[in-house]
Amino acid sequence: MDKLIDDEMLVAQFQAGRQNAFDELMKRYKSKIFSYLLRSVRNYEDAEDITIEVFFKAYRALGNWQPKAKFSTWLYKIAANLVIDYHRAKARHPVYALEDLEIPEENLVATDQYSNPVKGVEEKELGRIIREAVDQLSPKQKAVFILNRYEGLQLKEVAETLGMAEGTVKIHLHRAMKRLQTLLKPLWENNEF
Amino acid sequence: MPKCNKAEGHAIDYASKLLSPAEAKAFEQHLQNCSDCNKAVESFTTVLNLTDMAENAVTLPEAALQDIEMNVYKRLATTQEEPTPSRIRGFLANIESLFQWHKTVAASAFTIALITAAVLFGEFFQPKMELQLTESQSADARIEQYLQQDIQRHLEDAMITHHLRNDAWEAESHLERVKEQAQGTDWMRVAETLSVSNTTLASGKGY
Repeated sequence: MDKLIDDEMLVAQFQAGRQNAFDELMKRYKSKIFSYLLRSVRNYEDAEDITIEVFFKAYRALGNWQPKAKFSTWLYKIAANLVIDYHRAKARHPVYALEDLEIPEENLVATDQYSNPVKGVEEKELGRIIREAVDQLSPKQKAVFILNRYEGLQLKEVAETLGMAEGTVKIHLHRAMKRLQTLLKPLWENNEF
Repeated sequence: MPKCNKAEGHAIDYASKLLSPAEAKAFEQHLQNCSDCNKAVESFTTVLNLTDMAENAVTLPEAALQDIEMNVYKRLATTQEEPTPSRIRGFLANIESLFQWHKTVAASAFTIALITAAVLFGEFFQPKMELQLTESQSADARIEQYLQQDIQRHLEDAMITHHLRNDAWEAESHLERVKEQAQGTDWMRVAETLSVSNTTLASGKGY
């Protein structure tokens, strides 16, 4: 399918009965939605389940979708709402895991003869500490930070996704940065990296 | 000495690249004479470098990504099959249950006739290579399509592992996955034939 066809055109094709258009939309966004969810819930299986739920909900609602905002923003909005539901459910029925997010081994394997496996383990530990700091942000701060920094959404798009004013998004982003600064400062003050 | 009132807000926006080119230029001029802001920019840039390092180490599992479409259509098919409970439906179900015996007999006779016809015409054991799908198929047809593609993918992986990598154990594992997915279809026979040939290779290598 032509890559130049924009998302909204594909939605129109889907609404006209062309099912293949939805396949193309899934192909375009499954990695982005999965990575956003993985960073939000920190568990591969849950992120996969929620990704499926996002596209399931999108498929069912797409027939009546109006292009008031970008399709991608709408998709992130569904994902963000499901993340809220997920955290609510998890708060009601907490499941304690030793380490939900295991970084695959290939990221730790020495890539050349000069690489140091000990350094790899230290980096893994450092990565875990930093991700824990991100997880300590409030749900809104974390959502704003991840959508803007890692999903590449503009502040306006983040505002539409999370249903808040652009100014509020900026306030959450500033608070997130200051909180992260407080949490991570000991790392560079103690020369831990 | 009072702290610069621009230090935090502007430093965060500058480090996050959220300032417009004109605002960034003005702030860079301010940075030349403000140590508070310089320290703040350095600090927030370090924060972002650290979070980038940690978050970019998060990789997506390819296998899970490949199955997303199939699982979405599976989910859709499951939901469509769920009956909507209602009083009228319950009443109709009670009436239908009176005719269940007749329906079972009719369905069994029809199935037997269908199998006999398929055997007589000799089409029973011809594998279906690929479904030709139109652009407006149902979710069920799409699941079938993805299932067929998945089976073919595992068969290809098994052949590659068997012939090119000469790894009988790995090939057998792919064939086992085909057998799991292809139960009750003609692909099962293909997988079993390949499995026999693969086992011969494994025993020849002394596994």
